[in-house]
Amino acid sequence: MSESMTDGNGDGVDLDRVWVNVAAEVWSRSPGRLERSAARLLRSPGLARALFATRSLLLPWLISSVVVLGVGVVAEVSAGQPLVWLIAPVLAAVGMAYAYGPGVDPAWELSCSMAISDRLVLLTRAVAVFTVNAVFGLAASVLTLGTRASADAAPVTFGWLVPMAAVCALTLAVAVAARSASVGVGAGVAAWIILVLTRSAVSQQFTAAVTDANLYLPYLAVAACCAAVVIIATRTQKGLQ
Amino acid sequence: MNIELTDITRKFGRNKAVDGVSLTVGPGVFGLLGPNGAGKTSLLRMLATVLPPSSGTLRLLDRDPASPSACAQIRRRLGYLPQNLGYYQSFTVVEFVEYFALLKEMPPNRVPKAVAAAVERVDLGPKAKARLRTLSGGMLRRVGIAQAIVNDPELLLFDEPTAGLDPEQRVAFRTLMRDLGQTATLVVSTHLVEDVGAACSEVALMAEGRVVFRGTPEELTAQGEGHGVGDSPLERGYSAVLTASRKQVAA
Repeated sequence: MSESMTDGNGDGVDLDRVWVNVAAEVWSRSPGRLERSAARLLRSPGLARALFATRSLLLPWLISSVVVLGVGVVAEVSAGQPLVWLIAPVLAAVGMAYAYGPGVDPAWELSCSMAISDRLVLLTRAVAVFTVNAVFGLAASVLTLGTRASADAAPVTFGWLVPMAAVCALTLAVAVAARSASVGVGAGVAAWIILVLTRSAVSQQFTAAVTDANLYLPYLAVAACCAAVVIIATRTQKGLQ
Repeated sequence: MNIELTDITRKFGRNKAVDGVSLTVGPGVFGLLGPNGAGKTSLLRMLATVLPPSSGTLRLLDRDPASPSACAQIRRRLGYLPQNLGYYQSFTVVEFVEYFALLKEMPPNRVPKAVAAAVERVDLGPKAKARLRTLSGGMLRRVGIAQAIVNDPELLLFDEPTAGLDPEQRVAFRTLMRDLGQTATLVVSTHLVEDVGAACSEVALMAEGRVVFRGTPEELTAQGEGHGVGDSPLERGYSAVLTASRKQVAA
């Protein structure tokens, strides 16, 4: 029931509405700078929130990270096996789809009834998993530079996490632009196949797309471009305000 | 009409969970009754656009959910409370409701007030900042209701909404249902006959995937005259219709 009282002028005051306004002020959490930037880049505050909530869903996050790192290590160990490199990205995607899908996500059923497609949300989560683990990998490689640990971490970071983060970022960008996760996945898979085939044709080595040190920089450049777009988008918005 | 179903069927392997259901539902509270395994949840999941029908025509809010753009438009105006709603334990009540408000693509500037209003409407104001892992089952159910109503939907689907609520909360919830039904189409799937009697203006009874009765709660009650099974007149009506349907199938 709505409570109301009369002020000095005889006008009714809806106390419930006043309280809701107060509660909205008190309870609301303003998103951080990165989340605001991601919302502008992805053109969706919902996707941005999903991206930033990804790590707080602890169990799916741990499963995804273990799968991604495990697949990366297996792929590196089997560097001479072309089939492993073909299957590895698929295995990682399946692992993440499981971790953030009906198998583990407690609110999956509800997520499937949302206006933002569950596949788009899954794509943003794939980007989050690869990007955060790539950043950790880069930091670990730098911090342990010159030691045995660095020699172990660097191939997985540069040969697996960074390329996959770049491919996932491209996939998400296309998906957001086309407003279709299927189009994004198609573009990402096509880009990856073209890259693998052209590099293997040039260097006569099937795994060149992930073992060629000359590609590390372009992969990082793609990631840097994404970051630059975020910054520019943020500045543009600020300039408009 | 906000819901138009024509000969809807849903199969899981060889099993027909929903078998040729045709329904039209306008604004108001519509009760979906039936025993376990009658097909209520499958029907509700199709209405929530989570599950596509195997055959038949489905139109929601005058749109065909088979088209991706129409489906997104429907989902923006939809509120859904699944039977087994899981919760992100580390989220607070407000964070959970806000998260789904954003996934429903509500304009961000409207979200804080809408979240506050929804949380207050289910009487969870004092627990707004509490983590979901600290809440009781009944409170969690109310969090689920809050996320369903946060976008002020035109089509609301509640699957067993009163499960886990204590008697006082159930009474309050029935009032909320009647209130919501004044502006929206609210479909409530339940096996608690008293919820239907108290809140629904119309009811359908499902058995073996089919709708075996459709009418007002009073009409369902009238079906039970002279029938001995059931503690209340409405329960006797429910029981009489189910018995007749089973006899028909057996024959």
